[in-house]
Amino acid sequence: MLTHWHTRLALLALFTLTSVLAAEDASDASGVPTYRSTVSEVRVTFFATDENNHPVATLTKSDFAVVDNELVVRNFRSFTHSDETSLDVVALVDLSESVAARFRVGMSDVLQLVAREQSTPDDNIAVVSFGGMRPAILCSNGCRASDSVSRLLAVKGSGTTPLFDALILGADFISHHRRAGARPVLILFSDGNDTISLHSPREALEAVLDEGALIYSVDMGTSENQTSGSTFLRQASDATGGRYFSLRFSPQDAAAAVPNAVLEDLRASYVVTYDLPSHQAGFHSLRLLPTHNLNLRFHSRNGYNYEHSVR
Amino acid sequence: MKSTLLLALALTSVSAALAAPLGIYQHGTVVRMRMGDCALMHRGFLNAFGPPQAAVAEEACPEYTLVTDKVVFLIVGKSSNQLVPLAEVVDFRFQNKELAVRVDDARHESKFAIKEMTLRAEWELLQKHLEDQLNDSPHRSVDTSLALRNPE
Repeated sequence: MLTHWHTRLALLALFTLTSVLAAEDASDASGVPTYRSTVSEVRVTFFATDENNHPVATLTKSDFAVVDNELVVRNFRSFTHSDETSLDVVALVDLSESVAARFRVGMSDVLQLVAREQSTPDDNIAVVSFGGMRPAILCSNGCRASDSVSRLLAVKGSGTTPLFDALILGADFISHHRRAGARPVLILFSDGNDTISLHSPREALEAVLDEGALIYSVDMGTSENQTSGSTFLRQASDATGGRYFSLRFSPQDAAAAVPNAVLEDLRASYVVTYDLPSHQAGFHSLRLLPTHNLNLRFHSRNGYNYEHSVR
Repeated sequence: MKSTLLLALALTSVSAALAAPLGIYQHGTVVRMRMGDCALMHRGFLNAFGPPQAAVAEEACPEYTLVTDKVVFLIVGKSSNQLVPLAEVVDFRFQNKELAVRVDDARHESKFAIKEMTLRAEWELLQKHLEDQLNDSPHRSVDTSLALRNPE
């Protein structure tokens, strides 16, 4: 079984349990036949929201089915609450010219997050800004300190938008600061338009998925219509199992909603495991769908990579 | 008195209308689901002979494999968000060349176009054949660029 170790630590992983390995040597020596068995299990962390976009606290395993590479899976090995109890949050703040009109709203959101860090000491928060040539870490794991807050307040928006590079930096930060039992989350305040990154959107999302991080995007775009930037933000959130919020119609509501949503989603998260339905190597698309109540929407990452083990 | 009679009559009619379709539902299980193109649903004279419509072409419609005792149906939704509840047993009936699926919690029916119909025995043979093919080439790789494809 060859899966990336990050994936295992993250929200979804494949485990291959190779049994009777310990007995192998002994049985070879004694001439007793050795039976090898390989069991592949898929593990998915998810939460559900209702028609009002509120997390659903109580779910049962009969409320949903998993569609794994087009195959419908209803028989689960296990179904439990997630054991993640705290958050590792990296706030990515777009400081470019294109979001200048909403810049203050974004910063106010970030300061709210930082203030929250004090009330939830188990949570770690870092702030990364991007505007200009490359992203920069404004503060990490101690952003509530007065000098960090004044640094955040002094930030001015201008320049180009290295959005994808910022996602890479955020993913890299998470990989170096990972804590057991903590959910890695990227909160992305942006209009979704990249103008100068060295990395592609695919590379950026791959890096985030490898870390098992969820992207909560806050769309700071001002256009009344759906833009390519908005589409990217929505897709990034969907692909990683996070959520998308827009400041277009209700800036204050969205600003207040995001930190709460991240925390509520954590508390309402479940883990389901099932036997790998198909041993086809490569990417397995993943989707959780309701069995009865079509108003429920399930949020999980949109797939995983499976590779055959050769022993 | 007259109003009471009218009310009783109305209630009887409503309950009869609700009860009638229940008896004619067939049962099946959805075993596969994928997002396919919406061509079947949007195919019409204007779409076939008119100018290309990018918005329609890009839309993905859900496609379900519904297995019943004798027949396997491939049904297609009319829009990207038309979902079949994926319960173990799905109730459905035919209506005007479409398949009306009962949505339990919403207490209504959702209509799907029938794309294909296959005898179950034939379908099972085909599945076995595909499975054997897959097992014969276990190391065939899949395009991992799909990793970033949005489920929609």
